[in-house]
Amino acid sequence: MSGANKDVAARDVVVVGGGLVGAAVAYGLARQGLSVVMLDEGDVAYRASRGNFGLVWVQSKGDGFQDYARWTRGSADLWPGFAEELKEAVGIAVGYRKPGGVHLCLSEQELEEVELRIRRMHNQAGEALDPGGDPGSRLLDRAELEALLPGVGPEVVGGAYSPHDGHVSPLYLLRALHEGFLKLGGLYRAESRARRIASDGAGFLVETEHGRFRGARVVLGAGLGNKALGKGVGLDVPVSPLKGQILVTERAERFLELPTINVRQTEEGTVMLGDSHEDVGYDTFSKPAVMSEIARRALVAFPALRSVKVVRAWGALRVMTPDGFPIYEESESHPGAFAVNCHSGVTLAAAHALKLAPLIGDGGFSRTLASFSSRRFDAEASRA
Amino acid sequence: MRCDLAVIGAGPAGLAAATRAAEAGLAVELFDEQPAPGGQIYRAIETVPAPRRALLGPDYAAGAALAAAFRASGAGYRPGALVWNVDSQLNVDFSQDGRSRQCRARAVVVATGAIERPTPLPGWTLPGVTTAGALQILLKAQGLVPAEGVVLAGSGPLLLLLAEQLTRAGAAPRAIVETVPRGRLSAAARHLPAALRAPGYLAKGLAMLRALKRAGVPFHRGAEALAIEGADHAEALSFTAGGRRQRIESRLIALHQGVVPNQQMTRLLRCEHRWSDGQRCFLPVVDDWFESSVEKVFVAGDGAGIGGAKSAALRGRLAALGALRRLGAGEDKRLAGEAAALRGALDKDGAVRPLLEALYAPSAQILAPADDTLICRCEEVTAGALRKAVALGCPGPNQAKSFLRCGMGPCQGRLCGLAVSEVIAAERGEPQQTIDYYRIRPPLKPLPLAELAAFDVGDDAGDEAGDDQDAA
Repeated sequence: MSGANKDVAARDVVVVGGGLVGAAVAYGLARQGLSVVMLDEGDVAYRASRGNFGLVWVQSKGDGFQDYARWTRGSADLWPGFAEELKEAVGIAVGYRKPGGVHLCLSEQELEEVELRIRRMHNQAGEALDPGGDPGSRLLDRAELEALLPGVGPEVVGGAYSPHDGHVSPLYLLRALHEGFLKLGGLYRAESRARRIASDGAGFLVETEHGRFRGARVVLGAGLGNKALGKGVGLDVPVSPLKGQILVTERAERFLELPTINVRQTEEGTVMLGDSHEDVGYDTFSKPAVMSEIARRALVAFPALRSVKVVRAWGALRVMTPDGFPIYEESESHPGAFAVNCHSGVTLAAAHALKLAPLIGDGGFSRTLASFSSRRFDAEASRA
Repeated sequence: MRCDLAVIGAGPAGLAAATRAAEAGLAVELFDEQPAPGGQIYRAIETVPAPRRALLGPDYAAGAALAAAFRASGAGYRPGALVWNVDSQLNVDFSQDGRSRQCRARAVVVATGAIERPTPLPGWTLPGVTTAGALQILLKAQGLVPAEGVVLAGSGPLLLLLAEQLTRAGAAPRAIVETVPRGRLSAAARHLPAALRAPGYLAKGLAMLRALKRAGVPFHRGAEALAIEGADHAEALSFTAGGRRQRIESRLIALHQGVVPNQQMTRLLRCEHRWSDGQRCFLPVVDDWFESSVEKVFVAGDGAGIGGAKSAALRGRLAALGALRRLGAGEDKRLAGEAAALRGALDKDGAVRPLLEALYAPSAQILAPADDTLICRCEEVTAGALRKAVALGCPGPNQAKSFLRCGMGPCQGRLCGLAVSEVIAAERGEPQQTIDYYRIRPPLKPLPLAELAAFDVGDDAGDEAGDDQDAA
């Protein structure tokens, strides 16, 4: 299986990366009827997709970047149909639910910050003109909070709610995208980490440890790996890791229908606890100090979790851009080479498969996704 | 809290390591989950009543001296302490009396011993199915024996030892169903001359077999295609032997296919591991002081490769010398002299291993379970589901875990890890070394959320950042 050390027949597109970003784009391309090969790393990789919390989250996305707010909301709107499509295609229920989501505020200061954000984003959206760009979030007072989230702790001062928020199993999603891609005739190669990408006029040649792959176009969906790979084809991808740690508990009695920013109960009944952010390079070890803080915040949110047992903790690396917003970029010097980077691979999976992938098949990003280009950082640099 | 040497596990390796290091003047802290020293092999060694001690035999009784030496050594002792995390900076996070604390060590000896190899075969998850090791613990700790004749099935010295001990306790097994294939003995015989260098083992083994024969315990050899029958409880074991299908009724069936290192802690530490064809499992890579690839982390006892109780104690002492050397707490020349003597003894004691490994290699059936056999008990994942994931391109156990949830339950892969790696390796046609193993994460055993929330690490806390982004 891994012994194939020869060139593989040319495809329309080579997608580099088999995580949620790469798999969603590859699925979307294959869905367009294109011939696609998806190249993936081996069993041990940074793979942010495997460390994901599983939110389809709208309310906080795009503060200061209206196109991103609209793009995120658009993806959330596509999600119900997308989940159905995957279920029909491969029989995997990815557990998507859209009961709305809550950002719990554990202090007055946090509440104030959230309130400011809601006001800003509402004003940026200009609701009457652009309903699709409004995250639709509003503040909840204690009474509303208690009605929506029975069992919420007495120290929680308030929260923000958006009806567009939801959650999904990121692992089932990843598997469904892979199986769906294969079912559409896509070729998947694990243990084929891309080493180098070259263009030769006719297309692109991707060299991996197990064979070379040729395509008329190439999409970089390799997360943190995009930074180095992009250089070869004129793509500037300034991404860096931001570590997140997550705890998961044993199965507990169902107590929480709505996902919150730091506590969500999965379909299986386990409870995921998260929302830490550490700038610590490529270290993915779980750290007790952070684990303890995550546990403390979860208990403030839902005190009844006291005796529920934590069975596993993990650390994963978010793929962060300088401003936290996605980068969608087509190479100017090497037309046909694309980079796709974001830290919201779950939320944006539907948009990547159904809206972004067709743009790769048909004329590029320049019209619709121009504002997501990494050239925005050049502009900032020259202003500074 | 701090110490010079943290030892994890109070079996023969841990006791010997802690004793030797404390005698040399180090501040030693020994952490163990059990309420009293001895580990599984010498379980309840300090409190066992004389008749039960006699019944368990002289090899068991030999543990008393190790426990006594440890008690007298001045080493710190934390019984009932669950170590749930250790990192490469040698911080040991443990839970004791419902409270978690951290101990910062200058060196660590991991002496967490062995676990029984997983035995996936039809019906193995039914109530009424247990393991030989579990039955032996009941016998050692509480003097309990099965009320109904148990059927012992599988292979390995422990299976025979338990049969003999149960027989002496008046609870002879209904039958022994051994899965060692015919012809294995003559194939293993080439290791016989070497095995004779290890004193006592072979004579003891033969005596055990004779005792079982005298007692009239039915002994089925060369059994294949084992299946446990029963709808919601084990009712019988069926198997093929001597060219025909047989069936033995019992509501208690104990399986065993040998023991393998408990690698949860060394995997958590991301120590380097190598596949061993002889022991058919992964072993942490250690040098001749039993130091792992993670600096100042030593792995002693069966955790470094199955060697039995005597070897475990020798390795524990060696690891302690290694730690003394690393911490500059002994004269190099004297340490080297003592180590050389220990290595000589280890070499001799270990001479029996190649024979045992060849003779009692795990049965083909459990290494390649049928498609409908459950492989992950916690999340109920079958071998067939795993094979299907591999066919779709899944390259290894960690991606399989993501796709199927195998290894994600309360046992965190302890029970299915090896079996999952084996199936993926066979399916992909690659060596086990390439396929490797689950990435293990803390906590090593489930920990109440409130205890974790109350855990105050001390001065390295505080690298928490904002809260304004999700992880989606």
